[in-house]
Amino acid sequence: MTVTGWTFLAVSWSTILGLALFCFYRTLRKKS
Amino acid sequence: MAQGRKAPREAWGSRLGVILAVAGSAIGLGNFLRFPVQAANNGGGAFMIPYFISFLLLGLPLMWIEWTIGRFGGGFERSTAPGIFETVWQKNRFIKYFGVIGIFGPTVIFTYYTFVESWLLGYSVFALTGKYASCTDQTSMAAFLQGYQGLVQNEHFSSVSTAYLFFLIAFGLNILVVWIGLRGGIERVCKYGLLVLFIFAVVIMIRVLTLGSPDPAKPEWSINNGLGFLWNPQWNKLKEAKVWLAAAGQIFFTLSVGFGVILTYASYLRKRDDVALSGLTAATTNEVAEVILGGSIVIPAAFVFFGPHGTMEIAKGGAFDLGFVTMPLVLQQVAFGEIFAFLWFFLLFIAGVTSSISLALPAVVFLQDEFNLDRKTASILFAVVTFNLCQIVIFFNGQGSLAEMDFWGGTFCVVVFALIEVILFAWVFGMDKAWGELHSGSGIHIPRVYRFIIKYVTPIFLLLILGYWFVQEGWPTLLLEKTPTEKVPFVIGVRVLMVDLFAALAFLVWLAWRKRENREATK
Repeated sequence: MTVTGWTFLAVSWSTILGLALFCFYRTLRKKS
Repeated sequence: MAQGRKAPREAWGSRLGVILAVAGSAIGLGNFLRFPVQAANNGGGAFMIPYFISFLLLGLPLMWIEWTIGRFGGGFERSTAPGIFETVWQKNRFIKYFGVIGIFGPTVIFTYYTFVESWLLGYSVFALTGKYASCTDQTSMAAFLQGYQGLVQNEHFSSVSTAYLFFLIAFGLNILVVWIGLRGGIERVCKYGLLVLFIFAVVIMIRVLTLGSPDPAKPEWSINNGLGFLWNPQWNKLKEAKVWLAAAGQIFFTLSVGFGVILTYASYLRKRDDVALSGLTAATTNEVAEVILGGSIVIPAAFVFFGPHGTMEIAKGGAFDLGFVTMPLVLQQVAFGEIFAFLWFFLLFIAGVTSSISLALPAVVFLQDEFNLDRKTASILFAVVTFNLCQIVIFFNGQGSLAEMDFWGGTFCVVVFALIEVILFAWVFGMDKAWGELHSGSGIHIPRVYRFIIKYVTPIFLLLILGYWFVQEGWPTLLLEKTPTEKVPFVIGVRVLMVDLFAALAFLVWLAWRKRENREATK
């Protein structure tokens, strides 16, 4: 895999994982 | 019929429960099979650019719209599209008939989805019993699948009876979950089901990513290059309109927007429950399953055993071949392959169940809401109708019934329904009121640029998709240009049946509204 390929993978994975963790953190912290 | 005093309205057990139910509805076979094929065929890493843009401009707005108007309609004790649409546009007498699409589409998809889902259950068992172990190449594994589907008679299967047995189990399981109800059935299945699905998917992903280069004679057929096959960007592909539309289509279908099921799920929320953060959480959970897990299993695994040219051919063969033909062959070649094959098919089966139970819900809840039936009676009625429809899919699959139902129920209706939703939300409900409703009880503040996106960009995007689809596929399909002559009578028969189903649902809406008006007049 090229460096650009790894960059796409790393940026995509970290963006999605980061957003998911942020959302779950906020969801679980917020009382319904 | 169990009519009489109206039962207390059901409710979700927890915020996390409803989020996981929506995520479960979104996470389906498409996450693990359709996404990697689309990405590999449409520019690899470069595909992720239109994919993420579509997620932001199409997927998220539609997700928020469905959560918001679903909760709004639920405030009037309406849980399906006809009633919810009427609460949004109270002055329009006809809008409820557009809402019929939100019951018709999921019901049609349910009829063929449960059959496909049952194949996965069957293959889970076959993986453990070694039923397809004698199939060692693409041709024999494809023949095994065709025999199982009842399309041909061969040494593996003499009829469709084995597939029918697994269909009965899968269908019964779906109806049982819906019968049990929202909190005890759907919410519980999605909570535990998604947990098991993620564990299985991570185990398979780790196995695939540690394959290295299994064939010492072909060191370039490595997992590193397999990932590169999916992620190395082909920049020239970005100039092609079809790549952008493929990305938009993938986002659209992966998030389960435009089906009407999120409307029903969200209608059971309370007025001050959050929808903005919950919608975003469900969408990102789906993306984790799709991009991280789905993107790291089938294509890299196929690459290390079949090489770049073989994988290209497999990807062109479509998602079904990848899941039912290629993956069993790949997993036969790793240690404890039967266990990994079981995990693979069973995780797809779970993904299928958490989606199909959501597809059953709009019709069941419509009967409950509008005809005052209890959940069990409504579930039985739904089961009787869809069981009969399923027979057409099972016994006329070879004549193109499944593809025809998928085309109209799973493609055309979905895009049209989403377009109606966005117009209702942004233009009829009004952006000021809609924005306030979206932020009522919200756990996050959505950037104001989304007011513009929801009002202008999303509808234009949807119109482009619909127009492109209609020119490329809709019109030729409508005129049966791609249908072989011998299949034409069957395809027309399926269309007549779908028109009848739509007309029956529209009649039920008319009847329910007349009953409601009579009830209100006598009060």
